[in-house]
Amino acid sequence: MREEFFPTFDSGSVFVDPWLSGFESTFQVVLMGFFVCLACGVIGNFVVARRLALVGDAISHSLLPGIAIAFVFTSSHSLPAMLIGAAVAGVLTTVLIELIHRKSRVKPDAAIGIVFTTLFAVGVVVISIWLDNVHLDADCVLYGEIGLVPLRESFILSGANLGPLPIAIMGAVALLDILLVIVFYRVLLVTSFDAGLARSLGMPVNTTHYGLMIALALTIVAAFEAVGVVLVVAMLIFPAVTVGFFFERLPALLFGVAPLSLAYSLGGFHLARWLDCSIAGAMVVTAGALFVVAWFFGPKGGLIYRSRALGFLFATSKQKISPQIVG
Amino acid sequence: MQLLGLGSIFTILFLAGCDAGDSDGKLVVVTTTTHVTDMVKFVAGDRLDVIALMGPGVDPHLYKPSAGDAATLAKADLIFFSGLMLEGRMADVFAKVSRRGTKAYAVTENVSEKSLLEPEEFEGHWDPHVWFDPAIWSKCVDVVSDALSENDPEGKVGYTERAEALKTEYLAVTHWAQARLSGLPEESRYLVTSHDAFNYFGRAFGLEVLAVQGVSTATEAGLADRVAMVDFVKKHGVKAIFVESSVNPAIIEGIAKEAGVKIGGELFSDAMGQPGRLEKGPDGEQYDIGTWAGMMRHNVNTIVEGLK
Repeated sequence: MREEFFPTFDSGSVFVDPWLSGFESTFQVVLMGFFVCLACGVIGNFVVARRLALVGDAISHSLLPGIAIAFVFTSSHSLPAMLIGAAVAGVLTTVLIELIHRKSRVKPDAAIGIVFTTLFAVGVVVISIWLDNVHLDADCVLYGEIGLVPLRESFILSGANLGPLPIAIMGAVALLDILLVIVFYRVLLVTSFDAGLARSLGMPVNTTHYGLMIALALTIVAAFEAVGVVLVVAMLIFPAVTVGFFFERLPALLFGVAPLSLAYSLGGFHLARWLDCSIAGAMVVTAGALFVVAWFFGPKGGLIYRSRALGFLFATSKQKISPQIVG
Repeated sequence: MQLLGLGSIFTILFLAGCDAGDSDGKLVVVTTTTHVTDMVKFVAGDRLDVIALMGPGVDPHLYKPSAGDAATLAKADLIFFSGLMLEGRMADVFAKVSRRGTKAYAVTENVSEKSLLEPEEFEGHWDPHVWFDPAIWSKCVDVVSDALSENDPEGKVGYTERAEALKTEYLAVTHWAQARLSGLPEESRYLVTSHDAFNYFGRAFGLEVLAVQGVSTATEAGLADRVAMVDFVKKHGVKAIFVESSVNPAIIEGIAKEAGVKIGGELFSDAMGQPGRLEKGPDGEQYDIGTWAGMMRHNVNTIVEGLK
């Protein structure tokens, strides 16, 4: 155990050293964090709007049968096999959630609960039947770790080494998510916020739903492989809800994700350097802290803004009531 | 906040332009588990600085690197890890490390597959707890001395000498352990522990090994496993069962209570003790439980005292 909980804060070793010595790995970790926050944050806006905020957590459990079955078929824990299993399970999760929610009166949060617990249990059963003696859990065969990204295999394009492969993949996923949002912007906007209107306008509501769900599942699985669970689950929620205290319109919400992602990634990295703790964990703590700041000071529904509004209402109603009592 | 973030990245990029670097020419050697650290530190001697990622009491299946560990790995020239999936995904990353200037070695890379134990159904998924078989663990010493010699040819003589000395010590401890354990009567040769780490130990020293949890510490023991274990302990009249320093003792404590046996003590399994902490054995000799030899002596003494 440490002598004191917080190590002494030395701005030199926390902010300057990581960039002066070991610039490359520091840059790679921060860039990776940025890409994950960006990809999850952009798609997270629609996820939160559809009341599916916990879908990331759900997938982290429900991909167990995917990797278990992939293991049964291939008898190996090779990463490509595990990734394919996880991706199939992830897509299945989101599609089933959507299906149950749409074809019944079950609300999205309950649909998430039904789907992920069932799939997780299937995974546990598969493992206990066929794989009892094998070390198989997602932590061990699938989840990556952001601190290890600089050591990952390189992405080599026509002879040039462009740095670790997971960064390139995550960057591509983020770009793809952004492109998809731009191309399908109108449909996504209307279907996410007013499905009835979308249907009356003759928009392909179902196709959009399932398309979004598949993109979401693939983004989440790619991010799990790169940085593990906690960062991904948090980033599907935090950018969307935090920026919501500043803007109300969707374009602004989407643009707000980028600076927030940078703040989470940089802030979290340096917090982790100071406390010598998990980098992904520190990024999420940073996101939590920034949420609290936004919640207090945000102009759109922040606590301070609201309390002034409430105080004003209180004052006027009192003035209205008192004459009646007198009268 | 956003502006601050952008501002700081530009400042930082500017500062990075005048990178000084910290090269005094010495190789930076990073190790994972305590077993590997002890071996590499001994072979490296004073020539190299060895930085360990996992301390005593850390479960390597569940270890996650902190920001400091990540920074250490970023400047590593050589990485030594245990391998055979002991370190989970991290070992996967090390096995494929392709960054210029960093080489990673699994100390178990040259161990012949015939000498490894594996779960029945699946080939290639070996039991990683090989340090409990002195014959196998001795082979791992060669991987370390070869790797160090290759990357620092000037130190080769020293590395080879110290590797030989280490293997001689392993052999001496093995003989001592065999003699000590041979005092145990045949009917009390049962080693019951928290998780499946002692299969090699049992094979090397002739004990029947049973564990409540599987090879991985990530899966929890099922109710049926527990009941079966209590039955086994009662049926065979096992005198003592053992907890492990890196695994939650609750399950073993529960079984001991149910079966009415004592807990024989704490064994080192996936991690060794605090380096430099001396312990006194029942025959009066002292050993450092942070070394492989001391760890083995501690385990053997604890087992013999518990079961005799």
